[in-house]
Amino acid sequence: MIEPTGLADFFTIFFSSAMVILLGALYALLFAYARIRAMPLLMPLAYLSYAGLFISTLFLAQAANLLSHPLWETVVACMLLGYLLAPHGIWHLCVGTHAAGAEKDAVTEVIPESMTKEA
Amino acid sequence: MATNQWWASESFWRKTAIWVTGGSFVVLMLLTMDTISQISVGTTRVPAYSVINHRIEYKFDEQRRVQVPVIGVKEPLFGKELNEEEAEALVKLGKLTTQAKNCMNCHTLLGNGAYYAPDLTKSWLDQYWGTSEIREVQMVEFIKDPSDKLHNSMGRRMPKLGITDEEARGVVAFLKWMSSIDTNGFPYNFKSIEQEN
Amino acid sequence: MATPGICDSANLNGGQKLAVKYFTVAITLFGAQVLFGLLAGLQYLMPDFLYGVLDFSVNRMVHINALVVWMLYGFLGSVYWLLEEESQHEIVGLKLGNVIFWVLTAAVTVVVLVFLLVQVGPGKESTIWLINEGREYIEAPRWADIGIVVSVLVVFYNVAATFGKGRYTGIAGVLVLDLLALFGIYLAGMFYTTNISIDQYWWWWVIHLWVEATWEVMVACIMAYGLMKVLGVRRKIVETWLYIEVALMFGSGILGLGHHYFWIGTPEYWFSIGGVFSALEPIPLVAMVVHAVFDAGARHAKNSNHPTMAWLIAHAFGNFFGAGVWGFMHTLPQINLYTHGTQWSASHGHLAFFGAYATIVIAMFYLAVQKWRGDVWMSGGLPGNGWKWKWALGLLNLGMVGMTMSMLVSGYVQSQIERAIEGSSWIGYFAAQSHHWFVQGMWWREVFGVMFAAGFVLLVWDLLTIGCGEQRKLVPASDSV
Repeated sequence: MIEPTGLADFFTIFFSSAMVILLGALYALLFAYARIRAMPLLMPLAYLSYAGLFISTLFLAQAANLLSHPLWETVVACMLLGYLLAPHGIWHLCVGTHAAGAEKDAVTEVIPESMTKEA
Repeated sequence: MATNQWWASESFWRKTAIWVTGGSFVVLMLLTMDTISQISVGTTRVPAYSVINHRIEYKFDEQRRVQVPVIGVKEPLFGKELNEEEAEALVKLGKLTTQAKNCMNCHTLLGNGAYYAPDLTKSWLDQYWGTSEIREVQMVEFIKDPSDKLHNSMGRRMPKLGITDEEARGVVAFLKWMSSIDTNGFPYNFKSIEQEN
Repeated sequence: MATPGICDSANLNGGQKLAVKYFTVAITLFGAQVLFGLLAGLQYLMPDFLYGVLDFSVNRMVHINALVVWMLYGFLGSVYWLLEEESQHEIVGLKLGNVIFWVLTAAVTVVVLVFLLVQVGPGKESTIWLINEGREYIEAPRWADIGIVVSVLVVFYNVAATFGKGRYTGIAGVLVLDLLALFGIYLAGMFYTTNISIDQYWWWWVIHLWVEATWEVMVACIMAYGLMKVLGVRRKIVETWLYIEVALMFGSGILGLGHHYFWIGTPEYWFSIGGVFSALEPIPLVAMVVHAVFDAGARHAKNSNHPTMAWLIAHAFGNFFGAGVWGFMHTLPQINLYTHGTQWSASHGHLAFFGAYATIVIAMFYLAVQKWRGDVWMSGGLPGNGWKWKWALGLLNLGMVGMTMSMLVSGYVQSQIERAIEGSSWIGYFAAQSHHWFVQGMWWREVFGVMFAAGFVLLVWDLLTIGCGEQRKLVPASDSV
């Protein structure tokens, strides 16, 4: 079911799994920032973070022997796809929920144009 | 402007929250029922208490790629073979003693607890006890009064906790029984005491 | 209303008066946690220190129990704090609430005294009933368990009945169900069994489902209230997001329980369940990041209470690093085989508990003090530029990060030498414990612990003095509830 990792791979595992989470957050942060501030120049940086996440995940998968079993391969695939799509989905949710909220309460809130464009 | 998408509405997410929580909980309940039946005493994963009448080994399993407990020849604890009820009573006394003496706030058991003293999962098989002939006596004596025994070079010692002779025997029985639980290979790479005849 | 700048209970509603009592006990227990943590940490370096008087096991037990109880007091206090405002109705059983507060506090005091003075008992069930249950985090003897269950039930009654008579909001619905779960799950830890696998199976229900599910949701409720209060976010949005967070947290957290079922005798299928849901657990955190950026961009972030806001930000970071990064680093079974039950767990535990929970309760303390002193000004330009709260914030956070890093170094050594090479044997354990890197890690942990303690002292001093003599009133956040 699992193949314990080798002693030499310890550092790779700790480092790459920390990088997965950190780059995941950086990607989400840059992605959201690029949209809300309408700074399309940041978007390549966001995807660069995701590329880093992609590579970190592969390193992690290699070191933790995840690619030797179909189940763990699926987990890796889900991580790669999930982290790519999650910020997109949550962004749409933000726009959607705030639009719904604004309509009901009819309170003046400044929603930058850049935010509503995407929806 | 996008207005009131169903997937962004409050009621959709209220329902989702309820269904996700309820669904996860139902799955957990089903898994719990299955797991409990697999880890009840007397199963292959968690052997009957009378396993203390046998030698217990921890050997590498080629198929599972980790070490697993192996129940061997008759080797009654303290030289006296116990029936199922007697064995359970002794292990129960030991388990109660480990709780009453707060062992878990220095040691780990099955890896859970505090990190000030060694893990007890396979302590029955530890090379520290010398040979398998003197192990039982050594363990009982140690548990009753560890304060003057050799522990390590750092000066960290277990205190004397007022454990009686009977309680100490119970603890040893509990530790022997615990070493027979199939823990999926934890601890990994453990080097066992010599037990061959 | 009374003169601003002095603590006057006339400024508070009934529930808030009770909340202040809960908060006072909470911060006292926080102090006990820090003190006994320092004692236990010192025993790693000087094993003969208090040997046979207050052994490591006793200090460590008080350290972690004080933690659990002060957080619980902080949460129950926070619930009472927001109850009347949120329901727009007086608390139904305030007298009963007060009585139960004193009963619970008396029980906690007795338990701590018994832990310190009696410590252990004979190997009989009576010890479990009267002295010490000997199960990490839920050591409280059985009679006290029953007391805790009754107390939570009374809080549940007060919350459910008050919301029932007043305004039943979305936050109310989540809170009521969450308190019910909090009560129900605790029952899973209240029986004795000799089978240690089954013992630990249910034990993790209490520990994991409290800490990683019901507490998280309680924090989300408090956060939702705090966001409306401090930033003036609108209710509709806050409540929709509360549901989204509940769905994400329970969706990943309930079956995330699987990552505790790798090595306790449980079947191998828990590897896959634990692995999959551990990989999912960062998703709620990613959601928070995106939503926070969106929110900050949608309004001009002005807030009426700077210390509270700063601690809420500390909460966001602490939760992300402590639970997210530190958790994921050692959660896959392939590596957890080596890190399970080492200083890794201690490192993760410290940062996660502090980041996710201590920070938010401290944020509530500041919110409470502000109201208690008559809704005084607590934004920029405090006397002395607010140096006390800023230094307390800095020392507590730096101290915690330092302790976490030190234990990470020790844990790394331990997982290599004790686990990978020697396989958790007695010899291997002590080979790792006496390795100079491990020992250095323990030294630095103690140094940063002292820094943390200094931050705690400053925090108490600040809470006692901030806003005293302040004449300016707060400017409410834009469009609040």
